[in-house]
Amino acid sequence: MADFGLLSAILWFPLLGIAAIIITNRSRPDTIKVIALITALIDFILSILLLYRFDFTNANFQFVEKIPWLDVINSFYFLGVDGISVLFVPLSTLVTLLCILISWYSIEEKVKEFYLALLFTNIAMVGVFLSLDLLLFYVFWEALLIPMYLIIGIWGGPRRIYSTIKFFLYTFFGSIFMLAAIIYLFLQFGTFDYTLLIGKTFTPQVEKLLFLGFLLAFAVKVPMWPFHTWLPDAHTEAPTAGSVILAGILIKLGGYGMVRFLLPLFPQATLFFAKLILVLSVIAIIYAGLACLWQDDLKRLIAYSSVSHMGFVTLGIFSLNPIGINGAILQMINHGIVTGALFMCVGVIYDRTHSRAINYYGGLATTFPLYAALFMIFTLASIGLPGTNGFVGEFLILQGAFMKDKAMVIFAATGVIIGAAYMLWLYQRVFFEKPVSGVFNLPPLRWNELLSLIPMVLLIFLIGLYPNPFLDFMKTSVSKILANIP
Amino acid sequence: MVTLSLNFGSLALELFFLLSGIFIFMIDRFIKSKSYAFWLSFWVILGSMVFILFIPFGDFTRAFRIDFFSSSIKFLLLIGFFFVLLLSDTHLNNFPGLNFGEFYGLLFFSLFGIFVVLSSQDFLTLFIGLELMSIPLYFLIATQYVYRKESLEGALKYFIAGALSGGLYILFLGIVYYATGTIYFEEVSKRLAQGLLKKELLLGAVFFISALSIKLSLVPFHMWAPDAYEASPLPITAFLSGLIKFAVMAVLIKVLILAYSPLKIEIGKILIPISLLTILIGSLLAIRQDNLVRLLAYSSIAHVGYAVLGLVSGDFAGYGFSLFYMFVYLFTTIGSFGIMIYLVRANRGFLEIPNLAGICQNLPFISLLLLIFLFSLAGVPPTAGFMAKFYIFLMLVKSQYIGVAILALLVSVIGAYPYIRVIKVIYMDKGHLGYYKPTYPIFLAFSLIVATFIVILLGIYPRPMLDFIQRTLFLYISLQFLQL
Repeated sequence: MADFGLLSAILWFPLLGIAAIIITNRSRPDTIKVIALITALIDFILSILLLYRFDFTNANFQFVEKIPWLDVINSFYFLGVDGISVLFVPLSTLVTLLCILISWYSIEEKVKEFYLALLFTNIAMVGVFLSLDLLLFYVFWEALLIPMYLIIGIWGGPRRIYSTIKFFLYTFFGSIFMLAAIIYLFLQFGTFDYTLLIGKTFTPQVEKLLFLGFLLAFAVKVPMWPFHTWLPDAHTEAPTAGSVILAGILIKLGGYGMVRFLLPLFPQATLFFAKLILVLSVIAIIYAGLACLWQDDLKRLIAYSSVSHMGFVTLGIFSLNPIGINGAILQMINHGIVTGALFMCVGVIYDRTHSRAINYYGGLATTFPLYAALFMIFTLASIGLPGTNGFVGEFLILQGAFMKDKAMVIFAATGVIIGAAYMLWLYQRVFFEKPVSGVFNLPPLRWNELLSLIPMVLLIFLIGLYPNPFLDFMKTSVSKILANIP
Repeated sequence: MVTLSLNFGSLALELFFLLSGIFIFMIDRFIKSKSYAFWLSFWVILGSMVFILFIPFGDFTRAFRIDFFSSSIKFLLLIGFFFVLLLSDTHLNNFPGLNFGEFYGLLFFSLFGIFVVLSSQDFLTLFIGLELMSIPLYFLIATQYVYRKESLEGALKYFIAGALSGGLYILFLGIVYYATGTIYFEEVSKRLAQGLLKKELLLGAVFFISALSIKLSLVPFHMWAPDAYEASPLPITAFLSGLIKFAVMAVLIKVLILAYSPLKIEIGKILIPISLLTILIGSLLAIRQDNLVRLLAYSSIAHVGYAVLGLVSGDFAGYGFSLFYMFVYLFTTIGSFGIMIYLVRANRGFLEIPNLAGICQNLPFISLLLLIFLFSLAGVPPTAGFMAKFYIFLMLVKSQYIGVAILALLVSVIGAYPYIRVIKVIYMDKGHLGYYKPTYPIFLAFSLIVATFIVILLGIYPRPMLDFIQRTLFLYISLQFLQL
């Protein structure tokens, strides 16, 4: 009884905050920030409640809400969570909460619009993970573009306009094909209901085309190797909060979509294309890893490392066995935490020095020790040192992929080494060596920065040392999804 | 033996408009304060909105018929016209050189023409209606002459395009009469059902579509649109691109149902390249525009192209989706032109896009509304523009026109660029601070709020509106088949 409406509550609660912010006078930015913070905090608590009440022995959808939405075309307002999506909901609300905190002092102009856009992003992100109706899913998926377009374009860096238009058109272009595939599915089976579409069969030709339609949308979002060029630009130019949302949630949508839609809906095509995607993933891992070594911009380097890490995620998903997929989902969460935290760290230092160039820095460890320690933790988690969450995810993925295709793993594992190389080299260049003139007398970490970084540290060690509870959430659902694949 | 029914009750609304227009023309010279004309039109339209619900269905001779379809469309048009009036009031107070009773009188004459078009039952009455609808507009566009000398050029362009449209229409009329010996919609349909004369009537249809293409500004008859739009006073531009196109689309659908239903598949095939080219050219040319009105003119070309895509399959549900598209576009137009009227109040230079740089600092509310309308025009959920496009694509794929759907989808990505560029200028470019910040007149604020509300509501929950349009069409179609 108490469960009914919980998902709607999580999804729509930020609307209250949006309404409150709209009626607040823009001359009182502090009030606006506090309202946004409280809204995001309550939404986060609600999503923790969801985790608490979630029954992870049950592979079916839980907390289901189904109300007719567009009768004419048989589309429903249909929400539900299973083990695959349940962890992403608190991750989304947590990322929003931390974004509000980290932007507390760094966003000074158009404060009202900024927090409106952040809360709107929250609704769209949570909506994507919750909706089980394909049309509803698409609506949230596209609606997310609006606030992200604004966040990158308004509060971003010097080349923000080029980046944001590239981001918008790229992702818009990708999703168009998903829309075509969704329409085709509807006309074939008369429903947008995800649960009813599972297990339907197609002719191989059609199935492959539909698979490619969905894949293009997800591949652009992930981003997979040939479609990745928007990501370094968008990441680099976005404000800190924008980068954190991009890294934390937005690019996870692609991976989530693959697990949620590609595997169960098109099992034959999945098998057909699995090899191709594995190859693309390995190319992404190595190519983006090598590209990282070239970068002279902090954010750009971390952005390319995202491409590389997401290559591991697609590798895990298309190894098509429970270990690989569990690892991939866990790795998506991990990557959201670690890369989000790294972007926050870059934001912290950028706010103080207004430079993102790696060679601007040097010797930060002596002048800014606490920050250096935190950055070290995130660097090690990004490399995948045992004891941090990155290790668990990458290990599971590589193990899963090894069972599928040994040659791939040999190549992919070199990606781990490249990863260690570029991250440690980055750390060495920025934090060690002789302090340069620009890094003395930096103001200490503020309360909001500490508050947003410390939860990330805790999560890194929690997942790294004791990943079982997290894996428990997804196990049953993942095996259910794999049941369709021969 | 055909009996002629002379049912004057069904003509009441049309006569009412004609008389109101004439009345305004007659007394305008004697009254100094011009606000009377607005209030008269205001109450006439509000009254008509109630009145139309009680108009009895029936014929006035065989040429003119009030039925469920025409009344429903007229009701929707009256709502749109009401908002055009509200916008006109704001705009005319701003530009007193336009503020004469004739402005409203001519609007009434044009509305009279639209209503005749929608009720016509034969091709000759339809022609007369189209001319009645267009002639007052030539004057209305030219009224802007007081402020912009170039306005005459736009008016003349529209006039010449209209004359060409008339010529093509007369050719069509000749062919139809030559081939069938009748001009009544239903008679033509009967002759077609007998299986004869298909070639002649198809040739006629090409001329017919060309004639209406000029009113709808479909490629290759789109050249007049940007110039005429730029030349007109802003409320007239909204009228041209929202109401006229909605009405012409409705009558095109009516003719396809009544007269040409045996040929609708073939006509659909003619419409495919036209609409695809229209979308492509409208979207491509919109990219380089630096004037907001010209941008919306090209965007209007592209949008009608999408709406016409709903007609290509010949499926009645598709006709409904086309009408839904035009309805959404009508309100997006009202909203975006309302915003422009406000911007012009602040600064006449605001119609040039580069001058809009950074206005979100000073005019946050209006910028937010413009953002919503522009995303609706680009077709991004959760706005009505997405739902409208979605249904059109749904229809295309359903009727197996998958290639057409994919082409249109691809072009819609290009089509999104001009709008996000404007958003970029407004929100992301650096501007100068400290513009004069005009107040919101009550009518303008009301129109903007209603239009925004509708655009968001139809994006989230389009069902009731869609039901209304689909039911109107199906009822109409089933009645026609009963009569046959």
